[in-house]
Amino acid sequence: MPQTWKDNHAFFLIVIGLLAWVVPGGGHFALNERRRAIVICVTVIVTFLVGLHVGSIGVIDPVNAKPWYVAQLMNSPAVFFLGQFSASGQFPVFGRAGEIGQIYTSIAGLLNLLCIVNAVYTAHLLGLKGARA
Amino acid sequence: MRIDTNAASMLWLIPLVVAIAVVYKATKVHQIRAKAFAKETALLIGSIMVFITVAAFILYGVAWLVTEQLPAMAGGSAF
Repeated sequence: MPQTWKDNHAFFLIVIGLLAWVVPGGGHFALNERRRAIVICVTVIVTFLVGLHVGSIGVIDPVNAKPWYVAQLMNSPAVFFLGQFSASGQFPVFGRAGEIGQIYTSIAGLLNLLCIVNAVYTAHLLGLKGARA
Repeated sequence: MRIDTNAASMLWLIPLVVAIAVVYKATKVHQIRAKAFAKETALLIGSIMVFITVAAFILYGVAWLVTEQLPAMAGGSAF
């Protein structure tokens, strides 16, 4: 296969991965997997929001809970901005910031990571199929 | 939101299991058709719940043995 195909293919995979990260389900949506994208988007976002509702914005803690924060970052880059806000400490906490809220938001992030990997793999298979055709 | 540390707080596990099962099945099934997807997801949710329940009973049994039975056999308290 020519080098240009490989370059284009790698770029395509990166774009799909980024789309899947920016918006949960975005990668599958770009691959015309609309139903899959909607199921993923709704489930990941609802799980993340339930976590935020349970523990308030304090569940995103880039200072004292770095491993959890890394998992939460997999939800979307928007979590980074929430982390910047929560790091300032200038917010009211209406619940216990740890425990269940942290688990929900982190699991939502890890589920989205699974979807990112799946979207990139599906894109890779589609690319191979297109190259053979 | 206030969640107490009691047995009822374990119910917070259920929505999480549902989310995990739905997303996992969404990445695994060949095509998403409402009925088949719901059936497969329900099966996975059931499997996870049964496994967690069995694991909980086993752990409870081990904890009961260590904290109640072994000290009684040794003639004292574990704590």
